[in-house]
Amino acid sequence: MVGQVVISGLLAGSLYAMVALGLGLIFGVMRVLNVAHGPILMLGAYTTFWLFHWFGLSPYLSLLVSMPVLFVVGVVLQRLLVRRVVDAPELSSLLLTFGVSIAIVNLAQLTFTSDLRSVEYLTGSFILGPFAFSKARVVACLFAVLITAGAFWFLQKTRLGKALRAVSQSREVAQVCGINVQRIHMLAFGVASALAAAGGSLVAVMVAIQPEMGQVYTFKAFLVIVLGGAGNYPGALLGGLLLGLVEQLSSLFLTTQVNEAVAYILLVLVLLVRPTGLLKGRAS
Amino acid sequence: MAPILELRAVVKRFGGVAAVNGVSLSLERARIYGLIGPNGSGKTTLFNCITGVDQADEGEIRFKGRHIDRLKPHQIFHLGIGRTFQVIRVFPELTALENLLVVTTTGYDEARRRAQELLEFVKLERLAGEFAGNLSYGQQKLVEFIRVLMTDPEMILLDEPAAGVNRTLLNELLDAVRRLRDQGKTVLLVEHDMKVVMGLCETVFVLDHGEKLAEGAPGVIQADERVIEAYFGR
Amino acid sequence: MKRAFLVALAVTLVALAVYPMHATGYGVRTMLQLFMWIALAQSWNLISGLTGYVSFGHVAFFGMGAYTAGILIGKLGWAWPAACLAGGVMAMVLAVVIGWPCLRLKGPYFAIAMLGLNEVLRVIVSYYEGLTGGGNGLSLPTLHASVPIYYAMGLVALAVTALTYRIITSRFGLRLMTIREDEVAAEAMGIDTFRHKLYAFLLSAVGPGIVGGLAARDQGYIEPLSVFPLITTITMIVMALFGGKGTIWGPVLGAVVLFTFQELVWAHFIYLHQLFFGAIIVAVVLLMPRGILGVLQQKYNLPRTI
Repeated sequence: MVGQVVISGLLAGSLYAMVALGLGLIFGVMRVLNVAHGPILMLGAYTTFWLFHWFGLSPYLSLLVSMPVLFVVGVVLQRLLVRRVVDAPELSSLLLTFGVSIAIVNLAQLTFTSDLRSVEYLTGSFILGPFAFSKARVVACLFAVLITAGAFWFLQKTRLGKALRAVSQSREVAQVCGINVQRIHMLAFGVASALAAAGGSLVAVMVAIQPEMGQVYTFKAFLVIVLGGAGNYPGALLGGLLLGLVEQLSSLFLTTQVNEAVAYILLVLVLLVRPTGLLKGRAS
Repeated sequence: MAPILELRAVVKRFGGVAAVNGVSLSLERARIYGLIGPNGSGKTTLFNCITGVDQADEGEIRFKGRHIDRLKPHQIFHLGIGRTFQVIRVFPELTALENLLVVTTTGYDEARRRAQELLEFVKLERLAGEFAGNLSYGQQKLVEFIRVLMTDPEMILLDEPAAGVNRTLLNELLDAVRRLRDQGKTVLLVEHDMKVVMGLCETVFVLDHGEKLAEGAPGVIQADERVIEAYFGR
Repeated sequence: MKRAFLVALAVTLVALAVYPMHATGYGVRTMLQLFMWIALAQSWNLISGLTGYVSFGHVAFFGMGAYTAGILIGKLGWAWPAACLAGGVMAMVLAVVIGWPCLRLKGPYFAIAMLGLNEVLRVIVSYYEGLTGGGNGLSLPTLHASVPIYYAMGLVALAVTALTYRIITSRFGLRLMTIREDEVAAEAMGIDTFRHKLYAFLLSAVGPGIVGGLAARDQGYIEPLSVFPLITTITMIVMALFGGKGTIWGPVLGAVVLFTFQELVWAHFIYLHQLFFGAIIVAVVLLMPRGILGVLQQKYNLPRTI
C-alpha cells in the first residue's frame, strides 16, 4: 500500500517539478512572481484538447504544438507587459501577472465556455506485481522527466542556458559580461511558459479541463519553489517530488478535499521554518 | 567602567563562507571608534550582527552587559543602539519631519519639538515638509543621521558616513560626531575615507577576511605592516 | 478649499441618508451594494495600500462574516445586527489565525500564502457540511430589511473611511507606511513591523466581516461560491488601485466609478467582467500605479489626507 502511494507520489511529483521549474525560472531570472503561470498551463491543456477533438492528434504529439506556441505567447507577454515591472516593487509584478491571469481565464471562458472537457486517450493501468498505475500517469511522468531533463541540459550545457543562469545570479555582472539581459528575460519567460504548457498537455489526459484549472497548479508551483528554495533550479525538482509524495501520503489518512488544505499548511509551515527552502535557495 | 559593547568570538556564515570569523571587540563609553578593512572584510556584516539584522552563528554580543545576539532589530534599537546604512535608507514618501517622527513613541508634541531641534541642528528646517525622496543626496544623508538621534541612543553605528558627501557637509558631520562623543555617546563608524578615520577616531579596528587584524590608535594602525599588506597586497 | 469639500461631503451624506425615502427598492439595494464595495475596497487599502503587503485572499474575511452571521441567524435565531457584528469579530479572529504565521513572511511570500487561502477556506466550508450546509448552501429566514441594511452598510463604509483617515493622519499610519517603504530600515528604527502589520491586518478584516454578514442577510442565502469568489477580491483590489491605494478617498472614488460602470455598462457584458478588470489592473499597474488620486497627489503636491 505504502509502496503504491510512494510511487504515485513520485509520478505526480515529476509533473509538479516540471511546472514549478518554469515558475522558478521566471522568479530566478526576473524576480517576478508569475501568477499567470497556471492559466498558461490551462492554455496548453486546451491546445491538446482541441487538437485531439478536431484532428484526433495524440496528446503526446500535441506537445510539439503546445510547447512552441506557448513559448511564443510567453515571450510576447514578457516583451509587452512583464518587462515593465521587472524592476518595480514586487507588488507591481504580482498585481500585473494577476491581472493578466484573470484576463486569460476570462478569455478562455468566453472562447471555450466553462463546460468541462476531457481527453479520453490513454485509459487503464499498468499492473506490476502488487502495484497498479494509471497508464496516463506513467506516460505523463516519462514525458515530464524527459522534458525536464531537456531543460536542465539546456541550462547546463548550452551557452544560452548558462547565460540564463548567470542572469539569475547577478544581473549586473551578466550585463558587464556582454549578456543581453533583455533577451534572456524573454527567453526565460518563454521557456517557463513552454514548461507550463507541457504540464497542461500532459494533465489534459488525466483531469477535467476547464478555464479555472490552472489556479491550483500556480499555487502548487509556488509551494514547490518555496520547498526547494527560490532560485534553486535543482531544488525545484526535489520540491516537486516531495510535494507529490506528501500529497499522496496524506490522501491515505485524509479525504481528498482536505488535501489542498494540507498543501497550504505545508506551505505556511515551510515559509515559517525555513524561508530559504529546504535546500539552499537564495533568500529573496 | 565596564565596556558598553562587547563582542566575543562572533562568527557569521553565509553558505559556506564565514563573513565574520571569530571577531572580538570591546568598546568603552564616550569614545569614537573606527572599523576599517578592505572590501569584503566583513564590516557591514558585523554591523548587521550587532544591530540584529543578521543573527550571529556563534559568539556573544553584549550591550551594557546584556546579551543582544538573539534580539530583533527593533528591540536592539530601543535598548539604545542606533545605526545608519551604507546605502541611504530614508523613507522616500514620508517628509523629512515624518521620517523623524516615525521613530519615536513619546508624546507627539515632545517628538515634534525634538525633530525641529534636530532639523535646525543640521540646518534643514526649511525642508521639514519636503518628501525625503526629493531631497538631495547630502540632505538625505543628514536626515538619516539626525533620525538616528531622535531617541537619544547611547551608541551610534555609522555605516560610511562620508560616502558621497562634499567637504563642507562632511566637516559638519564630523563636528556633530565629536559633539555626540562629548555628550557621552559612543560612536562606531565604518569608513573607507582614511583621512576621516585618522582625524576622527580615537581607536581603530582593522578587519580582514572576517578577522580582526589589528587594533589601536590611528597613527599606530597606519604604520602597521599587516594593515598595509591587507589593503595593498604584498 | 477644505471648507467647500466638507460642505459637499455633508450634503452628500444628507442626500444619502434621505435617499431611501424617495427611492425604489431596486435603487436602495443598488446603493447598498455600492456602500459594501466602498467598505471592502477601503479595508483592503488598510493593509495592502498602507503596508504594501498585498492580500490576495481578502474575500476570506467577507466569507467568514457571511457564514458566521448566516449560522447565527439561520441556526441560532440571532437578530441580524448582532449577528453581523459577530461576523466582524470572527473575521478578526481569522485575521489573527492567518496573520500570525503569514505576516512574518516577506511581502511576496505573504502574497502567495494569501492566494491559497481562498481555496482552503472554500474546502473547509464544504467539509463541515453539517454546520454550513456545505455545497448546498445555507438559507436564512426571509426578511425584508433592505432599508435598515442600507443604513448599516452605509455606516460601515463611513466608519472604515473614518478609520482610514484616523490612521493615515497618525504616527501609527506613518509607521505602517514605512513598512511599505523600507521594512529593514523600519525595523532598524525601532518599529516592530510584525505587530504593526498584524494590527493593520486585523483592522482590515473587520469591515469585510461585518459587510459579509450584512450581504448574507440581504441575499437570504449563502453558498461557498457566492461568498468566497476570487472575483470579489479582484474587484476590491481594482477599485482601490484605480482610485488610488494608500489614499483615503481613493478606494471610495474607485468603488464609485467602477461600480457605476458595472451597473451601466458591464451588466450587459457580464461575461467580460473579469477580462475588463484584468485589463484595468494591468493598465493601472503600468500606467498609473498610484491610481487617480495618487497621481493627482504627486502632481499637485496634495496633502496625504486626500
